Amino acid sequence: MTKFILRRLLLAIPTLLGVSFLVFASIRLVPGGPAVALAGELATPQMIEQLNRELGLDQPLLIQYVNYLGRMLRFDLGRSIRSGLPVVEEIQTRLPRTLLLAVVSLAVSSVLGITIGVTAATRPNSLFDGGSMIFALLGVSMPIFWSGLMLMIFFAVLLPQWLTSIGFPTGPILPPTGSGTWQHLVMPVTALAANSMAIQARMTRATMLEVLRQDYIRTARAKGQKERIVIYVHALRNAMLPIVTIIGLQFGTLLGGAVLTETVFSWPGIGRLLVDTISFRDYPVIQGTVLTISIGFVLTNLAVDVLYAYLDPRIKYS
Amino acid sequence: MKLSRVLVVVGLLLVSMLAPTVKAQSDTLIIASGTDIENTNIHLVTSSPSFSVLEHIYETLFSMTPEGELEPLLAESIEATADNVYVIKLKEGIRFTDGTPFNAEAVKANLDYMLDPENGSAFRFLLVVGGEPAQVEVLDEFTIQITTKFPFAPLPAHLAHGAYAMVSPAALAQGRDFLASNAVGTGPFVLSEWKRDEEVILTRNDDYWGEKPALETVIFKVVKESGARLVEIQSGTVDVAVRVPPADIPMLEADPNIEIMITPGLRTIYIFFNVTEEPFTDVRVRQAVNYAVDVQAIVDNLFEGAALVSRAPFAPTIFGYAEQEPYARDLERARALLAEAGIAEGTTVTLYHPTGRYIQDALVADAVRAQLREVGLNVELQTLEWPQYVPQVRRPKPENDIQFAMLGWGVPTMDADYALFALFHSSEFPPGFNGAFYSNPEVDALLEKGRSTLDPEERRAAYAEAIRIIWEDAPWLFLYSEIQVTAVRKNVEGFIVHPDESLIATFASKR
Repeated sequence: MTKFILRRLLLAIPTLLGVSFLVFASIRLVPGGPAVALAGELATPQMIEQLNRELGLDQPLLIQYVNYLGRMLRFDLGRSIRSGLPVVEEIQTRLPRTLLLAVVSLAVSSVLGITIGVTAATRPNSLFDGGSMIFALLGVSMPIFWSGLMLMIFFAVLLPQWLTSIGFPTGPILPPTGSGTWQHLVMPVTALAANSMAIQARMTRATMLEVLRQDYIRTARAKGQKERIVIYVHALRNAMLPIVTIIGLQFGTLLGGAVLTETVFSWPGIGRLLVDTISFRDYPVIQGTVLTISIGFVLTNLAVDVLYAYLDPRIKYS
Repeated sequence: MKLSRVLVVVGLLLVSMLAPTVKAQSDTLIIASGTDIENTNIHLVTSSPSFSVLEHIYETLFSMTPEGELEPLLAESIEATADNVYVIKLKEGIRFTDGTPFNAEAVKANLDYMLDPENGSAFRFLLVVGGEPAQVEVLDEFTIQITTKFPFAPLPAHLAHGAYAMVSPAALAQGRDFLASNAVGTGPFVLSEWKRDEEVILTRNDDYWGEKPALETVIFKVVKESGARLVEIQSGTVDVAVRVPPADIPMLEADPNIEIMITPGLRTIYIFFNVTEEPFTDVRVRQAVNYAVDVQAIVDNLFEGAALVSRAPFAPTIFGYAEQEPYARDLERARALLAEAGIAEGTTVTLYHPTGRYIQDALVADAVRAQLREVGLNVELQTLEWPQYVPQVRRPKPENDIQFAMLGWGVPTMDADYALFALFHSSEFPPGFNGAFYSNPEVDALLEKGRSTLDPEERRAAYAEAIRIIWEDAPWLFLYSEIQVTAVRKNVEGFIVHPDESLIATFASKR
């Protein structure tokens, strides 16, 4: 297993190199450079020329890329064009926030999503099944910028108004935007979890229904195993493979920053950083951020593969 | 049923008790701003949100009041000892918050920093006159002398620009990295903490040389999404919310705790005609387009009234403003002028415009297209993203074949020279900003007089005449200038929204 992990980590290097080159080249193909974006109406050709020289953008693309790789080996991702701060620092301040949001919302959604999915699968076509799947459909369909704002209006404006009107004067129940305390987490996590939970619940229900029809489940029941054990130990474990895949993908996506959630709730994460800097053509930050996100994806994929082997002993990596 | 309702209420109350006191305190003012600062180096930042925050920490030699009056701030007085030599006396006894004394050496260090092209300040050009950087000399401890290539009346207004604020020379010497996240000035507040993409916290400078602010803390909180800013101001978690979407004004006006502040902006949006390209070489065609477009309707429908129809090529609070009679919509006259100029019905013209740069920019361009169709002009739109757009519209001759294009021009110095010279003087053809390639010797002479005469009344007269001629020559389709809509909680007093988009909390207090 250790060997497998090491080999995969080594294989990640060419992947990351490929990603870095694609990003490097593609942002330079987009018309308009950082100098124009930076100085707005005031950019003079001399300023643009000087800035391009300073940033090394006047050199051939390949030379620029080799220089970039050279600096990357020394963990120097350059400096943000917009803020003048080191890219590493820019990412460092945001990455923990994005991780926190991703881990908490995925933990909440997995627990709820899998439970709902299993319960729905064991009672197919029941009221609970229908109700929870409608709920799941809503969760998938509600755009986060809308559900986020609705949550905000409810907890920060309507609910306090109502409580005050019935004699319990109070301020906002939850802070509408920002980060820093657990209260700040509640709304963004709810908005995000509603979405990923819905997908997990539907996925769990579908695979569980399939697994529950298999012979070994009938055998387990026939030998008098408790229903709870049959479902949660025998069936769920085998149904987990596609669910783990989905959760892994969701986690990877969340690492890229839940851009809309981060924007609506002013959550200072990595996705917002990326979007902001793209419109500024802030090459170094774009490159650094995409690289960080790709590393996150590679590691998540690896973790999912390792989990496969744990869940299904038939899978062996050598 | 009843019990469950009681339980819900009790539960919510418990949650609300657990919730932190998110309501702002009385000595703290929280401003929900749309954008974070770029960094803390006031010499190098370019966006108005950055200046807004940093001007609480840093001060300039002169300052421009919201009414457009120039006042000395760190300076005591200015005097021209020769036509192009300005002597500035400084206030004495002021210290930077690191203890460094404020004096002529400090001013020279800052101006030299700005003028050094290596440092790359976007506003260096404000002190470059006729292609030559101004000469700065220290006369004595509290007197400096600035010499420009030729007489340059807007000098004190240019020194009032935020980029020319005074940074402690000791901090300047520490270099760019230090300045990017540290701020040492003379202002009424000091930088307490900058949480990137989140908030900037300022605390009162208790050793401030001027009148000390009533507020202990001012927080600029980054709330990008405008809907979220509205929730924040309605729930009272912030005291001020910037950039209220015009459509939401009625809702906020209905809230008894909120007041809406309308402030004229300094940015004018216009569409310039390239007067060297057919069909806009003919002044009658340019006037016809002005008569054909109903700017008031655009303002009413696309801005809910939150913009000012242009009555001059720049916004009203700027020095030198001279109001003209707007080209009121007159389709008959427009058609007649086009016919006189021999423009056939159905002639196609191409309008370049950016998208996402100015409020509603693409919609305005489309409205212009629709309105010109009524007088028989067939407009094709060329829509480009900003970084791609600017190099296009600023190509020099002969590659530049643009017929007409939309742009905006802000006047941070609040002086007519900045508003007119770069846009209408014949020495400023692209890659300069005179995209119209407009050239009128009379206007050139008046603009030169305006920048070299020191007497304000003579300047005013020169600009009034220049504006009158420009208005008639119509090198632009004159559109509108922007308005800032800010929501403020009613218990806040003395909060100022400056036309230059600065939010000033220094004189604010809370009841």
